[in-house]
Amino acid sequence: MTSTMTTEPGPAGAVGTSVLEARGVTMRFGGLTAVDGVDLTVGDREIVGLIGPNGAGKTTFFNCLTGLYVPTSGDVRYKGTVLPSKPYRVTQAGIARTFQNIRLFANMTVLENVMVGRHCRTKEGLFSAIGRGPRYRAAERDSRENARELLDFLGIGRHAGSLARNLPYGDQRKLEIARAMASDPGLILLDEPTAGMNPQETRATQDVVFKIRERGLAVVVIEHDMRFIFGLCDRVAVLVQGRKLVEGTPQVVRADERVIAAYLGTPYEDGAAGAREDEGTAS
Amino acid sequence: MADKVPEWGSASQPRQPDTLSAQPQRNAAVSPALAKALIGLGALATIASTFLAWTWTTSFPGDLSVTGYPGGNQVITLVVGVLLLVALGTAYGLPGLRWLAPRGHVRLLRGLALAGAVSTWYILLAVAIELNGIANWVTGSWVALTATALPVAGAFLLADDRHEAARPPAALPRWAQTVIILAAIISAMFIADYGITTSFTEEFIGFALAVGLAAWGLNSSGVLARLTELNARNRVATSAAAFAAALLFVFLQTSDQYNTIADDILIFATVALGLNIVVGLAGLLDLGYVAFLGVGAYSAALVSGAASSRFAHTALPFWAQILIGVGVSIIAGVIIGAPTLRLRGDYLAIVTLGFGEIFRIVVNNLNGVSGPSLTNGPEGVYGVPDLSLFGYDFGKPHVLFGVTFGKFGNYYLLLLVAMAIVVFIYARVNESRLGRAWVAIREDETAAEAMGIHGYRFKLLAFALGASLAGFAGTINAHLLNTVTPDQYMFSASSPPNSAFLLAAVVLGGMGTISGPLLGASLLYLVPAKFEFFQNKQLLLFGLALILMMRFRPEGLVPNKRRQLEFHEEEVAEAEAHAVAEADASEAEAVA
Amino acid sequence: MTTTVFLQLVTNGIAQGAMYGLIAVGYTMVYGIIQLINFAHGEFFMFGGFGALAVYLWIPPVQHLPLLAALPIMLVGGMIASVVIAVLAERFAYRPLRNAPRLAPLITAIGVSILLQQLVFLWYPQPGGGKVQVGVNAPVQFPTFAGKPFHLGGVLIQRANLLTVIVAFLCMAYLAYFVAKTRTGRAMQATAQDPDTARLMGINTDKVIVVAFVLGAAFAAVASITYGLRFGQVSYDMGFSAGLKAFTAAVLGGIGNIYGAMVGGLVLGIAEQVTTGVLANYHATQQWGTAWQDVWAFLLLIIVLLVRPQGLLGERVADRA
Ligand SMILES: Nc1ncnc2c1ncn2[C@@H]1O[C@H](COP(=O)(O)OP(=O)(O)O)[C@@H](O)[C@H]1O
Ligand SMILES: [Mg+2]
Repeated sequence: MTSTMTTEPGPAGAVGTSVLEARGVTMRFGGLTAVDGVDLTVGDREIVGLIGPNGAGKTTFFNCLTGLYVPTSGDVRYKGTVLPSKPYRVTQAGIARTFQNIRLFANMTVLENVMVGRHCRTKEGLFSAIGRGPRYRAAERDSRENARELLDFLGIGRHAGSLARNLPYGDQRKLEIARAMASDPGLILLDEPTAGMNPQETRATQDVVFKIRERGLAVVVIEHDMRFIFGLCDRVAVLVQGRKLVEGTPQVVRADERVIAAYLGTPYEDGAAGAREDEGTAS
Repeated sequence: MADKVPEWGSASQPRQPDTLSAQPQRNAAVSPALAKALIGLGALATIASTFLAWTWTTSFPGDLSVTGYPGGNQVITLVVGVLLLVALGTAYGLPGLRWLAPRGHVRLLRGLALAGAVSTWYILLAVAIELNGIANWVTGSWVALTATALPVAGAFLLADDRHEAARPPAALPRWAQTVIILAAIISAMFIADYGITTSFTEEFIGFALAVGLAAWGLNSSGVLARLTELNARNRVATSAAAFAAALLFVFLQTSDQYNTIADDILIFATVALGLNIVVGLAGLLDLGYVAFLGVGAYSAALVSGAASSRFAHTALPFWAQILIGVGVSIIAGVIIGAPTLRLRGDYLAIVTLGFGEIFRIVVNNLNGVSGPSLTNGPEGVYGVPDLSLFGYDFGKPHVLFGVTFGKFGNYYLLLLVAMAIVVFIYARVNESRLGRAWVAIREDETAAEAMGIHGYRFKLLAFALGASLAGFAGTINAHLLNTVTPDQYMFSASSPPNSAFLLAAVVLGGMGTISGPLLGASLLYLVPAKFEFFQNKQLLLFGLALILMMRFRPEGLVPNKRRQLEFHEEEVAEAEAHAVAEADASEAEAVA
Repeated sequence: MTTTVFLQLVTNGIAQGAMYGLIAVGYTMVYGIIQLINFAHGEFFMFGGFGALAVYLWIPPVQHLPLLAALPIMLVGGMIASVVIAVLAERFAYRPLRNAPRLAPLITAIGVSILLQQLVFLWYPQPGGGKVQVGVNAPVQFPTFAGKPFHLGGVLIQRANLLTVIVAFLCMAYLAYFVAKTRTGRAMQATAQDPDTARLMGINTDKVIVVAFVLGAAFAAVASITYGLRFGQVSYDMGFSAGLKAFTAAVLGGIGNIYGAMVGGLVLGIAEQVTTGVLANYHATQQWGTAWQDVWAFLLLIIVLLVRPQGLLGERVADRA
């Protein structure tokens, strides 16, 4: 498959143009093929779910998209241009992410964490930091206001001044999202955003993701919580042992025999809260 | 498991409620009133005793034989006695004084009482031992001995009342805050001045004991935290006051004698602060930092017109020397940093350690015999002329505002400016996009890169900035010492500045803070310089101190709370309680 | 420059490099398991030499044995000195900081290094008298082989150099056996790969770490004795530059890889000797010779870090997000 091909419209609900196009992404670690020729297209303002058993290669796929790993083969385009292979350039280009195992700047304040997220949309260097001209102050004020707005957006504004490490677990996950959003991305990748949350928090996170979409972002989300995924996503892709098994609307995926056999175990029933993978929070 | 150990620059762990003090226990045996009276009586007697003679001969240093006014170490006892009276005011709840003990006054009293007693007893003991026998004590000695014991007894009879810090009733007016800051900083300066100008070991030890114990008391009563908070809120006033106090120091000196010590401390502290950008902010372990000081010093010395320089006829103006010194340091920093900063952090440690060694070997060998002629080998560049700026010759005495400034007084002024520049740069950079990027890299480089930070570029910038500040200090150092030799710039030596001591000053003082390295540098310079009996055991004790420090207080004397004020912790606790309550409520709903 | 001279340089380099390699094994094992640059390892090395010398000086009959027969006894003394110090340092300085942030144990290691150096500097008894003398500043004499060097073609092989190479080979052979075949050795490999999982699998990681320190220190003691034999002296500060070189060797070979340590040591030793020897051999470059040896070693390190940062035998590891 060549990358010159036009985007195939997502099976359902890929609205407008495509934001992300990954073609044949493969990642090998020595003998282990963690991701094997995965294609994924994400449309404008689309929410795509990525599910699969532990060790299926979901996080590794994210790492390939964000430049943390350089894929062994395959290419990734963001809004039509091939992505650079350095994480900071990818963020600059417009893809932001959160981490499965929370990676906040533990000894910085919550506000500072989000301001760091704004890093690549600001330019002030050493000399303007020392000189503190009006331009510097304006930029700094903008970053701060943007950060405060994002914290309020995620409902953790009251924590702005405390250290990230002192936040309750659920709020740390929210802070990761706020930090990622500070870089004004066009696409945000969420790696298990509800791991370790209680049902209420999970439902709230679902609303947050919808609201993120309303702000004009496309979202790819990895989750083990089926109720969360099926209630949220326009499209779901199932990864098993590095390969994409099925992709389609939640209805299609949920009914697919192979998915049931490989991952879900029992047919998924709406409202059954027990669809959550047992090892869901393991890394 | 990992959460048990504080991280660098961490906030204090959530404070565990002190079970003993959670409810002040009534001590049945002695009533608090009696204990307080004991303290008051003791404090007054202590003050009185310092006006008596403590011995009858003048053979003990720092004349203690005068009746009528305090002398020598009696001054320390006197000051502690007065402070004890003030602290007693907090115990009686005098309005205004309660501010001094937000976390309880008993520990303040205990600290001060111990400070007075221990330092006084130490001196009396020293008198007895050095002059061979208690026979050298006079009535005053016995009075002092008893008088300083009373407050200790009183303070330890009082039940410990340590509790969570109370919020000040209302924010003080701006002028009052400024006055408090000024008073605190000027007092700190007087204390530092006393320490620097102590003229014999016993005096310094008595001083150190008093200051250490009093600081413990002030710290546990919470007043230090309150002052820190005040300083953090009024940074301009604090900086101005600190600068003014430092200026005042040199005006207090009657001779140039102690200015040399002050100069050395200033250089040491300035360089330590530069290192703090590299280690404390960006988290890069630079073990060869002193080499950049050397690079700056050599560069300046070579073009200073020194007769022993290869370029003896090139006498560039000082600003040009600074440019060259800083420039060459940056080049050296980039050469070292560029290949190593791409790699895992530990490599930097070893490469910089190697660089420190290589620098010494290279300047030793660029002597025209075992290498090209440039640095004059082990003899170094000597005869570096004193600076002369705007017609002000730093080598000659000057009279300013009726005070005579000798050579070291002159350099003190210049070094103060240099330090102010470094402090200014540090403070501004620390709170900027750049500083945040550095701290983010230090905390988690992968996450930082995922946030769009070009890790390598920013690490190189930190490294180069650090190198340039050390190079800058080096240019002044060359003129101050008039000589530049290879073994002034070693990894470890028995006197600062050297790379090991610089790192220790940063770590001991508190990484990522401004006052930490300044305090650390002062202590690391003064303690070995004043303890004569250390002799050649300085390095041994230094090594031991590093180990113990990492074991018991890895965050340093001045922990970096990244501006975290106490009420934030309260906020978090509140929020957590809130969340739990909410969850409970919704669970209850679900059940219903 | 003749081939013989060149081979002579290589021969000397191999002996020097074997010594670096023996020290480097200690750095690399400890680093591989707990990611600590043990700055004090150079001092463990130094303690080994002084321990061996102490046995030699304090037990007079040893002095009357032929040196080759005395060596095993000295070796025991050297190993005891350096292993005891290493175990104490691990137990009381490093272990409490196992979960501390990265800089803490590193600074502790610097402290331990300075402390150990000063202990020897201040209190090592002078030879002969056995009396404690403060500040033995000068290097202390170490017994050396009396016999003539061997000839191989035109190349001179010093007895001490030959012994160094043989001993290094035996040590590496033992280490290879230990790591691959013994239970503790395999536990060590497992801990190096993933300490948490290793602990879950029932491996006593604390013990494994102690073993790494013990082995490293024992090897350093061996290296220290070969140092004494080759240079005829030991001194309280010999650990600093030897340690620095050995760490360089460990990085050259690929830190964490025990064979890499020896390979890196040999490469460093040979490169050092050959570079300085060749430079000193020609008139134009003569002055860049011996005095600059450490500078060339440092340059080699920089070049390797630029070209092959994972070291000669190291693997590149990606950060798992
Ligand atoms: N840096 C790496 N080196 C070697 N193997 C890796 C690395 N990162 C991931 N893997 C392996 O790739 C596979 C996929 O892991 P991951 O992407 O984390 O799975 P998931 O996120 O779907 O649970 C796993 O077997 C994991 O061990
Ligand atoms: Mg994963």
